Amino acid sequence: MNIATYARRNLFRRKGRTILTILAVAVAVLIFGAIRTAVAMWNAGADEAAVDRLATRHKVSITMQLPKRYIDDVRKVPGIKAATWAVWFGGKDPKERTPFFAAFAADHNTWFDVLDEMSVPPDQLAKWKATPNGTILGDVLAKTLEVKVGDRLTINSDIYPGDWEFEVSGIYTPLRKTADRNSLVFHWDYLNNDPRNEFGKEQIGWVMSQISNASESASLSKAIDKIFDERDDQTVTMSERAFQLSFLGAFSAILTAFDLVSLVILLIMTMILANTIAMSVRERTHEYGVLRAIGFPPSYILGFILVEAVLIALVGGLVGIALTTLLINFGMGPFIEQNMAGLFPYFKTPPWVLMVALVAAGVLGGIAAIVPAIRASRHKVIDSLRRLD
Amino acid sequence: MAEATSIVTLKGINKTFHRGKEPITVLESLDLDVPTGSFEALMGPSGSGKSTLLNIIAGLDRPTSGEVKVAGANLAAMSDSQLAKWRSQNIGFVFQSFNLIPVLTAAQNVELPLLLTSLSGSERTKRVQTALRVVGLEDRMHHYPRQLSGGQEQRVAIARAIVNDPKIIVADEPTGDLDRKSADDVLTLLDKLNKELGKTIFMVTHDPNAAEKASVQRKLDKGALQ
Repeated sequence: MNIATYARRNLFRRKGRTILTILAVAVAVLIFGAIRTAVAMWNAGADEAAVDRLATRHKVSITMQLPKRYIDDVRKVPGIKAATWAVWFGGKDPKERTPFFAAFAADHNTWFDVLDEMSVPPDQLAKWKATPNGTILGDVLAKTLEVKVGDRLTINSDIYPGDWEFEVSGIYTPLRKTADRNSLVFHWDYLNNDPRNEFGKEQIGWVMSQISNASESASLSKAIDKIFDERDDQTVTMSERAFQLSFLGAFSAILTAFDLVSLVILLIMTMILANTIAMSVRERTHEYGVLRAIGFPPSYILGFILVEAVLIALVGGLVGIALTTLLINFGMGPFIEQNMAGLFPYFKTPPWVLMVALVAAGVLGGIAAIVPAIRASRHKVIDSLRRLD
Repeated sequence: MAEATSIVTLKGINKTFHRGKEPITVLESLDLDVPTGSFEALMGPSGSGKSTLLNIIAGLDRPTSGEVKVAGANLAAMSDSQLAKWRSQNIGFVFQSFNLIPVLTAAQNVELPLLLTSLSGSERTKRVQTALRVVGLEDRMHHYPRQLSGGQEQRVAIARAIVNDPKIIVADEPTGDLDRKSADDVLTLLDKLNKELGKTIFMVTHDPNAAEKASVQRKLDKGALQ
């Protein structure tokens, strides 16, 4: 036997209470894990954004367009390796198999050179470049819209009226797990030449540039914006990460609410643990008096209580991690990836979330026990021995 | 001269509690010498201060004033942590309600005081077996307290009290919760510890039969020894 034996044996002294507490901690860890997973996956696109890409948009708003000739000026900036452009189209399926998907009109010659995290078979890419109404779409979207290479596809837009007909030239697959597999891209010329786009002729939505040296990101951004400072349409250039976060900014209130709920969950978990430990300590006051009488110093009593609390919390945390992995990575995750690929192309709990949850459970277990542990260790021995409840 | 052979020497002990603003004197100008190797019983009515006196001798409580010297140590000069260490090395406790830890086996209960020493695991096991053999419960070492009778539980508690080879054993009503037969067994065991192992025993009891086993019987009334 050693000192830990006593703390360990105390764990299951009140089996029902301990098991319920462990389950409560496990459920708290599960909820915490689910929320943090959603937030992490929401931000994953931005977090994994290429560090060697810059986005240039209208200084006033992303909804305002830039003259197409700007692309030539951007390409001339020393340090810019390649540049491409796109216009937001906003895809809708007339058959409503999906409520919404990202669709862009882009430069067919350069789009997949700059956005190199998407892989298109060379023959399909060549076919797309040669087909004015050709389109390439993500593998998940292709499955949703039930199309394959060579099929005809009709979509609608929430900006441009009427039916838009395309020939499916290719299907791309992602080279990184957070890449959107639910988007569609077609020739910018096809949109530009269509009479339904009369108010956006020779206009582009944003420029995406690939730079030679990622460490020059800030200086190149300034250099690009300086070119257009004296023009009618001024620009703002930022890293791809900042560009993506500017889209997510609209959802910042929801993400803040998620953060708050995470904290509340941890607080509830701490209170449950504190209640269990306080009850156990009160029941054992007499016993701690006996231990003190036979020579155990106060620090041992403090240690017994803290170790017991941390053990309960860690066991609960481990059960919670197992539940989170099982329910999210093997249950909810694949379902979400299949049905909400636009928002969450990849939905799995990152290992760091599980680690944070486990460490938080352990630390909060200790915090929950600190007050009853200090009180029990400071109790006068003869007062503890008199307590029989 | 008396101090040279005394294991417990109390001089001018006063102990006053406060109930609200009202002071209650429990022990008053009490002097006591307990010779090394004696078996003493302390009797007295409820509220006479017996347990308070026992607690002061055992280093669990401090007098309001007076000098306490036990096993060569001046307890008044020691901090709480020093007292805890001193208790673990010098005092064996036997309580009325046994006070075994229910989640530990008899052997583990007996081993508890040894966890505060630097003894190795095998040395601790040897000592535990010896202590349980002394109290006649070697065959019950893996039983939990709930699997033992009251008399057996008290004998395990006595094994726990002697496992550290303390200089003095303090017993607070050790037969109070036992039937006559178990009480006699426990008293016989304490007598054996005193006579054969030379342990000094200071016992508080209400039971005249228990007190008869002791070589010295003292009476405490209204905070003073009679």
